[in-house]
Amino acid sequence: IMLKGMTRLVSRVHKAKHGEQHVGQHYNISIQELKTVFPHGLPPRFVMQVKTFNEACLMVRKPALELLHYLKNTNFAHPAVRYVLYGEKGTGKTLSLCHIIHFCAKQDWLILHIPDAHLWVKNCRDLLQSTYNKQRFDQPLEASIWLKNFKTANERFLSQIKVQDKYVWNKRESTEKGSPLAEVVEQGIMRVRNATDAVGIVLKELKRQSSLGVFRLLVAVDGVNALWGRTTLKREDKSPITPEELALIYNLRKMVKNDWQGGAIVLTVSQTGSLFKPRKAYLPQELLGKEGFDTLDPFIPILVSNYNPKEFEGCIQYYLENNWLQHEKAHTEEGKKELLFLSNRNPGLLERLCAYL
Amino acid sequence: MAAPTLKVSRGWSGLALGVRIAVLRLPGLTQVRWSRYGPEYQDPQIDKEYYRKPLAQLTEEETYERELRKTQVIKAAPATKTSSVFEDPVISKFTNMMMKGGNKILARSLMTQTLEAVKRKQFEKYHAASAEEQATIERNPYTIFHQALKNCEPVIGLVPILKGGHFYQVPVPLAERRRRFLAMKWMITECREKKPRRMLMPEKLSQELLEAFCNRGPVIKRKHDMHKMAEANRALAHYRWW
Repeated sequence: IMLKGMTRLVSRVHKAKHGEQHVGQHYNISIQELKTVFPHGLPPRFVMQVKTFNEACLMVRKPALELLHYLKNTNFAHPAVRYVLYGEKGTGKTLSLCHIIHFCAKQDWLILHIPDAHLWVKNCRDLLQSTYNKQRFDQPLEASIWLKNFKTANERFLSQIKVQDKYVWNKRESTEKGSPLAEVVEQGIMRVRNATDAVGIVLKELKRQSSLGVFRLLVAVDGVNALWGRTTLKREDKSPITPEELALIYNLRKMVKNDWQGGAIVLTVSQTGSLFKPRKAYLPQELLGKEGFDTLDPFIPILVSNYNPKEFEGCIQYYLENNWLQHEKAHTEEGKKELLFLSNRNPGLLERLCAYL
Repeated sequence: MAAPTLKVSRGWSGLALGVRIAVLRLPGLTQVRWSRYGPEYQDPQIDKEYYRKPLAQLTEEETYERELRKTQVIKAAPATKTSSVFEDPVISKFTNMMMKGGNKILARSLMTQTLEAVKRKQFEKYHAASAEEQATIERNPYTIFHQALKNCEPVIGLVPILKGGHFYQVPVPLAERRRRFLAMKWMITECREKKPRRMLMPEKLSQELLEAFCNRGPVIKRKHDMHKMAEANRALAHYRWW
């Protein structure tokens, strides 16, 4: 894992040793690791950038460093601590979350990563009535896609963890007690109708067994404010569905409660995919609503803000090293001042500006 | 406009404010597409470097010019002309031509997406190519854009001239601005009409720009067709009187 400094020197620093002095510098993730650790969850523009540059570089920033410090000093006997990353649009919440996930994957934690909870509460083509509980609804497509990605991310754990209950899927298929979790995941991917129930089982088993201390669990949810908002989904008689009535959301809420030990919960609240929330809202209180805030309370809020001058310089240097800024004037002081003014040091805006310059 | 409407002239009845040829000289009607500024209005000086020059370094003419500008009336700068370092008049003109119904935001976003698409495609090619080819691959979307439009400009054009009751297509040398306009117009019409369904404008435009940069593609073909027509109608060149 290489750390790209402000100059052309590339120094190899192990990620566990990222410190205060590395703020503003980039570190490299190999493309192979990217495919295993992040089958889903990276922002689409970042994926395009990785494809164009043929390398994945994340910037080391203060909120991520703070979180890493807390994670390194967690006491796994205590209930899981909840950390909420919040900030305005484009400041880097999702990429900070990805930094944390990569760190934990390197440390051999089990990663439970939901890339965007908002995708589960809107634009669902097929809603089935749940087989397990008549009141709730199933989302076979979203659940099966998530299970596929979960499998790629955590291959090695699936054979080690054993299921502690017998689950009957239908008249002919059932999973015995003591069989590996991989079987449940396979069942969910094969039989798309039972995918949501498979997800529920996976979540329940992981929660139960992480308290035993065999593995450490990291629950990472992006856009957690979707769990307590409203959905745009409707029943056949056009009456709206609340999030509780979706089986995926119901099980995820149980996961985010801090009644288990042996891991950590890192969440992000974002307005970008959210439904019925004003554009300028970015604080956790505004985005989660009363119900969500009360459920998540107590949590540790971490503000992700725009780049500071050092980080901004670092970002521009990174683009210049990769020859991304092709405009002649972009290399000059004038050009840099202009970019600073136009983007207000917002990472998302800066990336969009540099894309066409 | 279909028919020039009657308007109150500004007191310079009949005098052209710029040099506009081919004015309709029907009695009682004045042409309306003039600017509202009189001849005493000067164009605004947008260049930041002009104002940053320290007063000590100015020559006599420049000091005289500055003093003169203090007394003159100056037109208002249009909203599209900025003193940004990244501004390009060709890009602005192209964006204006792509705009429909005054939706400049959409036109500008399409333009930026096109430039980004061109850049990404060229980066793909760069990474896939060997070391010798890498030196030849151009990655700057602005140079590609300018070169492509330059390659599309026709050298000679056809003008319908009325002689003896018939309109003849006469080959005529084109002014610089007419050539630029034709290149941009052909590029935009080509991308709008010959686009496969479900392909977005930035993607198609980036494709066309890259092909024009390499002197291939339908827009270059249209330019060559124009040249061939002009060559075919060579005999009518005498109908031109200017």
